[in-house]
Amino acid sequence: MRNALKVARWEIRRNLKNKTYLIGLFITPALILLFGFLGSLMGEDAEISSSATVFINDEVGVYDALKETVDAQELDWEVQQTDLAQDQVDEALEDTEDTAYIFINQEALSEGIVPVYTSDTIYDLFTTELMVLESPLKSIQMAALGLSKEQLAKVATPIMFSEEIAGEDVDNKEATDDESGALEEDPFKQVVPGIFAGIILFSIVVAGMYIFQSASQEKKDKIAEIILSSVTPGELMQGKIIGYFVLGLLQAVVLLAFAIPVALWKTDIPIIEYLLVPETLLLVFIAVIGYLLFAALYVGIGATMADVSTAGNFQGLVLMLPFLPFIFATSVFMDPTGIVAKVGTYFPFTSPGVLLMRLTVMEEWPWVEIGIALAILVISTAVMMKLAGKIFKVGILMYGKNASLKEMWKWLRA
Amino acid sequence: METVLSIQGLEKTFKDKQVLKGISFEVRKGEIMAILGPNGAGKSTTIRNIMGIIYPDQGEVIFHKYKDIPRHKIGYLPEERGLYKNVKVMDMLLYLADLKDYPLKKAKERALAYLEKFDLKGKENVNLEELSKGMNQKVQFISSILHEPELLILDEPFSGLDPVSQDIFKDEIRQLANQGTAILLSSHQMNLVEEICDRLFMIQQGEKVIYGSLDDVKTEYANFKCTIRGHNDLAVLEQLPQVQRVDHNPDRAILYLDRDVTPAPWLKSLPVELHIQELSIDRISLHEIFVDIANSNQSNGKVGEQHA
Repeated sequence: MRNALKVARWEIRRNLKNKTYLIGLFITPALILLFGFLGSLMGEDAEISSSATVFINDEVGVYDALKETVDAQELDWEVQQTDLAQDQVDEALEDTEDTAYIFINQEALSEGIVPVYTSDTIYDLFTTELMVLESPLKSIQMAALGLSKEQLAKVATPIMFSEEIAGEDVDNKEATDDESGALEEDPFKQVVPGIFAGIILFSIVVAGMYIFQSASQEKKDKIAEIILSSVTPGELMQGKIIGYFVLGLLQAVVLLAFAIPVALWKTDIPIIEYLLVPETLLLVFIAVIGYLLFAALYVGIGATMADVSTAGNFQGLVLMLPFLPFIFATSVFMDPTGIVAKVGTYFPFTSPGVLLMRLTVMEEWPWVEIGIALAILVISTAVMMKLAGKIFKVGILMYGKNASLKEMWKWLRA
Repeated sequence: METVLSIQGLEKTFKDKQVLKGISFEVRKGEIMAILGPNGAGKSTTIRNIMGIIYPDQGEVIFHKYKDIPRHKIGYLPEERGLYKNVKVMDMLLYLADLKDYPLKKAKERALAYLEKFDLKGKENVNLEELSKGMNQKVQFISSILHEPELLILDEPFSGLDPVSQDIFKDEIRQLANQGTAILLSSHQMNLVEEICDRLFMIQQGEKVIYGSLDDVKTEYANFKCTIRGHNDLAVLEQLPQVQRVDHNPDRAILYLDRDVTPAPWLKSLPVELHIQELSIDRISLHEIFVDIANSNQSNGKVGEQHA
């Protein structure tokens, strides 16, 4: 193990001194940030264009109530009272943008149709936002009909439907209601740990792909035999896996160091609070096991190839395996308890990705399935490590050509 | 001399082909032992077995009476060798020394000294990919001796080197042996082997052909040969006493003599009418023994007796 750690330390240092790696390390989060920034720029554009100047011609004394509603809903409206008559509106709106005139009088209240005049260009959501005025206007309308305050309150309260499942324990139900209520309030509570683990999985699996390159490069540079005169093939393999795991984590840390502050700045999600939950540990554990599985696969396959550019169909297919869960993504998100999601959960190469997706969207975690999937994953990873070790031991010393499937099979049986 | 490495009855089979057929030899402290043989004879396989890179089917590799070879006490320069391209010379050397558990500070001091010795002074912070092939080989050689190994295994150390570098390597190898390092080297360059080795083990098709000290081997296998420059008929030369065969050119002939020839009486027995411009008599070289072996693929008999 000591030698494995030496190899790991070397791989880390070698990469950290490598300009290509360093550029990649910071370019990935920088690109993500750049796209995020561009997105937010567009968002800001949208926000800028979502402000409007709204003039209200109030003949029934509802202005204050309307202003209060607009403020309460945090609409970016500049509300002003006006005495302008309806026949002067066209002239007033000429050469204006994002401006509206609302005329509220007895006729409008009794007929239920409020005339609104807007400038030629006004943002799309304005019509939707107008609907917030419905409630105060309705109240005035009801009051005009002579309803008491209590009656008004009743009318204003929407009807709720309370569902109950027969035989369900009331306490549990209440607890569930509380949880689901909380989730409805903030779906990010569950999504944040999932995204966090997803970023870790992505980063370390991508770093794991460098193992593949490293192993085949070692063959190309013919240094393997010199190294193997000091360490065993097993130690060399373990060292690479550990080294690239740390490099992957470093990539994740850099990515998160960029992403979390930006997310905290741009959103109101209490990310840190949502991350510091036991669920995060399980999700990260799944990500780590997933990495070990793919790392073993990569190191084994890398040792069978004379050069990265000579990857045959088989090796090419193997390299694509970590991206298999993306094929399942739509089905899993649409129906996280469906058959596709379950199959994906139990198939080792899709299990980490699919599990993370499912657990991110599922309100109640299927613990039995998680247990079985984890058992399959751990066993598959152990088997994969063993097989990769056998292939690596022979393959790393075979210079100048790619190993055939037949040869690999022979090494596995040896 | 103390035996550092002992190989006993090593056997190895790849697929259906037995590439090592029970070979045994020893390497002693302070000696240079050469392992020789044509391509595919099993030299590199023997060395890889010693290094524990592959494992023998039968036989034992014993280092100082222990079967577990301590890798940090062995220096190894493989035939198929290279270094990481995009790292600095010093980083590479220190990493390999670290893998051998050698103190880094000492390794750095020794690395700088060796770089200077091998005309690479000031190259410690240069990327390996910027060095020439010869310079890379020097760095590889330094990496194999930096940790002061007790046993140094060099597989074709001179291949690809220019004559000047060959001399530097040769001198260093000799010096290491004088300091007590046991050295096992394989090489095709017989003249170099002949110059520096103390003992040799010649292998063909996985079997021992010759094993012993250079002097003994030459005495036993390298018969005398007489080179005559002059115009002589082949028939006349073939009639000379104790001549096994003749390589004949119009103005030059090499006479390969019987094993038991004593040079002085044999020279006296030469007929006076023989046309001699120049004459020299010496033993056939290791190179000729090696070529003879390589040419007699099916033979595992005594080469000197058959061809000399």
